[in-house]
Amino acid sequence: MSKKEKKQKKPKIKVGKLEKREARAGYFFTLPWVIGVIAFLLVPLAQSFKFMWYNIRITPMGMIYNYIGIGNFTNIWHEDPEFPQQLVTYIWQTCLEVPIIIVFALMIAIMLNGKIKMRAFFRLIFFLPVIIVSGPVMNMLVSEGAATIPSMNVQSIVAAFDVFFPTSVAESIGEMFSNMIMTLWYSGVQILIFLSALQKVDPALYEAAKIDGGSGWECFWKITLPTMKPMILLNAVYTVIFLSGNEQNTLITMIESAMFSGTKEKGYGYASAMAWLYAIVITLIVGLFALMLGSKKDVYDRKAKKFKKLQKKEERMKRRVIRRGERHAKKVARNSRRYTTYDGSGDY
Amino acid sequence: MKKNYWKKLLVSMTLVASMLIGVAGCGGDKSGDANPTQGATSGEKTDDKQGGSATKDPVKVEPVNVFGDYNVTTDNITLTYWHYEDQGMADRMCEAFMELYPNITVENKVISDMSTDLSAAAAAGTFPDVFEGTDSDTALANLYWADITEYWNADPENQNLMPTINEYGIGMFDTSVRFAAPMRYWPSAVFIDRNVIETLNLDMPRTDWTWEEMIQLIKDATQYDPDMQYFGLGYYNRLDSLYGIAAVSKDVRQIKGEFGFNGEDFDLQYWAIGEQQFSDLKLAGYVAPQQSTQEMEDWTGDWDTWFGATGRVAVFSEGFWTYQNLWGVEGYQEQYGLDIVPYVTPNVIDEKEHNVIATMYMGGVSTSCKYPLEAYLLLKFMGWGVDGWKVRNEIYADTTITNDSGTPLKNAQMPVPLTLNEEVWAGYKALFPQDEDRKPYWDDYFASITRPVPYGWYSIAGYWNFCDQYFNSIGIHDLVDNGTAKAADYTEEATRQANYYHADAMITYFGPSGYNVLSDAELAKYQAVVDSFLN
Repeated sequence: MSKKEKKQKKPKIKVGKLEKREARAGYFFTLPWVIGVIAFLLVPLAQSFKFMWYNIRITPMGMIYNYIGIGNFTNIWHEDPEFPQQLVTYIWQTCLEVPIIIVFALMIAIMLNGKIKMRAFFRLIFFLPVIIVSGPVMNMLVSEGAATIPSMNVQSIVAAFDVFFPTSVAESIGEMFSNMIMTLWYSGVQILIFLSALQKVDPALYEAAKIDGGSGWECFWKITLPTMKPMILLNAVYTVIFLSGNEQNTLITMIESAMFSGTKEKGYGYASAMAWLYAIVITLIVGLFALMLGSKKDVYDRKAKKFKKLQKKEERMKRRVIRRGERHAKKVARNSRRYTTYDGSGDY
Repeated sequence: MKKNYWKKLLVSMTLVASMLIGVAGCGGDKSGDANPTQGATSGEKTDDKQGGSATKDPVKVEPVNVFGDYNVTTDNITLTYWHYEDQGMADRMCEAFMELYPNITVENKVISDMSTDLSAAAAAGTFPDVFEGTDSDTALANLYWADITEYWNADPENQNLMPTINEYGIGMFDTSVRFAAPMRYWPSAVFIDRNVIETLNLDMPRTDWTWEEMIQLIKDATQYDPDMQYFGLGYYNRLDSLYGIAAVSKDVRQIKGEFGFNGEDFDLQYWAIGEQQFSDLKLAGYVAPQQSTQEMEDWTGDWDTWFGATGRVAVFSEGFWTYQNLWGVEGYQEQYGLDIVPYVTPNVIDEKEHNVIATMYMGGVSTSCKYPLEAYLLLKFMGWGVDGWKVRNEIYADTTITNDSGTPLKNAQMPVPLTLNEEVWAGYKALFPQDEDRKPYWDDYFASITRPVPYGWYSIAGYWNFCDQYFNSIGIHDLVDNGTAKAADYTEEATRQANYYHADAMITYFGPSGYNVLSDAELAKYQAVVDSFLN
């Protein structure tokens, strides 16, 4: 029987009224999100994809499109060298800052998950910066130097790293140190995510480990971290996206200023080209983190898989041995028939 | 149960309190505390007591009903006007215009950022009918300004303006068409602190001084003092801008713009001399530190001090508004021990009448405007028109009229009239010190500022592109100022670049893809410059 026939024979199940109603409700509840995605993501995405091939002049009488192919991209590289430079700096900074934020958030989450006094208050304290950085307050704080540590000699740090790394990398590291407070302030949401993940770890696992003599350190590496691994990936992706679309991000400011720039080279087309370049870089960084954190299964999954593989291999071997034995027996039987004497006694 | 009850009560009380605070915050004060950068307002009548003071009756001016071959509409129309003026002043001016033309309603809005606001308005289809701008390249590149040549030429008042406006075609951008008109004018100014000159036993220079005399005074006035060093110069405007505009006689080169621009091309050799001279003064320690620098802290002990308030600087290269907004404020000079008088910008070649570099906002009627004549009348009233200036003088003279910050309007970026009308000037001069000691300085100064030449970004097509993509991107000012390079090193290449950007912009803005007002010969001329640069 072919697959097609099998499929055709599958009995049709009539969807009940309740199920239909539930489905409608589901669609209704997802409708705002769908509308949002179409209106504020897909349409602008398609528009900006179109815009990047044009030089656009927005006149009071309407928009004038002038097709220039890859002209906007060449303009970015030839006439606006600051953008590629900032792009390189952004890559380094993101790659350095994301692990720092993740590790810091995990540490704080573990501490806040412990049995401490005024736990709710401390949780609130660590989430407060999220509210602050989401508004213009952060810009004011940064301009007043609140994001830096005055006693930290950033120039010495840059000079030290400059010996081992290229200058752009050393400067990115220096920049990271100079904005250390701000970087750590970006950890509020990540702490919450880790905290919720920590609370879902089965306490029986710890209990069992403790009974077997596992130390806290071992429990962290063997139980906590493997369980949290999907959340680490989630937080890494969230952090990359947050750092990339943040008000403090120079690239966002540059794209915005190019978008509203009235000069003949810039405008919507030029800004769209910048935005697409930037989006590609962000996607690559997200992909990098996904490869690092998401491709491998956790240690137990790996061991289970390995064990199953081993079992299958053993079964295969067993089957092979049995088949070989059977084949051998048959062979012996055939041979014995071949050398039978005419009288059938077997005695020569 | 009890515990839950108190918890719920606490949460609900907090919610109610935060809602009340929110509602109270949204309530807004109708007495005029609104952010001046937000929203249009003057369709509504302004409360005369706004700012805690009463206004006098406005000056009586007659409306214009017939203008050349055109009649001003009698239909009820609305015009939108976007500007950089103090909101309080703009409201009053709009009100005066609406009294003159009762059928026209004017809605005004302060522009916070020209490119952002106007391009957003253009994209949204809400472009203003009349607006003033600080960056002409943006307006020209996007065809914001309409042709107002006909109205301008038909208006007899325009023959009595500061001579460079018509002579150099300021607002015409080296075409035969007028796209914009100067709206607000602030000349550059050199001020001298007489107290410092007296303390240092120096002689006050003659008011028709030369460039060399000014440089010498800067050097003489830089003196060590154990209490606090004296500096010869404090600057806001760089000296190279002042120098370049008046560097040579008209017979040698008719300079009508920055960087030696003569209406056709640039020649940066004049700029380079001024730039180098300024850099040499800075490096030799004749120039006072800028605000918010380590040098300022080392000098005064305070990071945030402004050199103009130290009483230790002799000569200032400043904007005109510095006097009105700071030194001219009652009690300011007494507080800091200053005695500031204005001086004519010195001429390099000792010519009595010479050009003065100026901040000059350009205004125009937008290409989407449905009532261009009425919009032109509004533009003129708000900018250079005699009627408008009569109203302005009345408002400025009444120091009880204040803006939302409580500052009298004459101390809130008051510009200089562009008309030469005597009545306007008599009223305007009366706003400045009238005592015998200082009045002669002001009279001499006002007599010397009748030949304004705007900074490049107001009047030269492609100027901003040149600065953005070449001059500023390699940081020439910084390199020369810190002694890394000599200004003369850049003269040739910068001239070549400036000419290219200008020619390229002329083709884009005024060629077939833009306003299409250039002749074939003009197009070929600019194309040749572009081709020679690219090849």
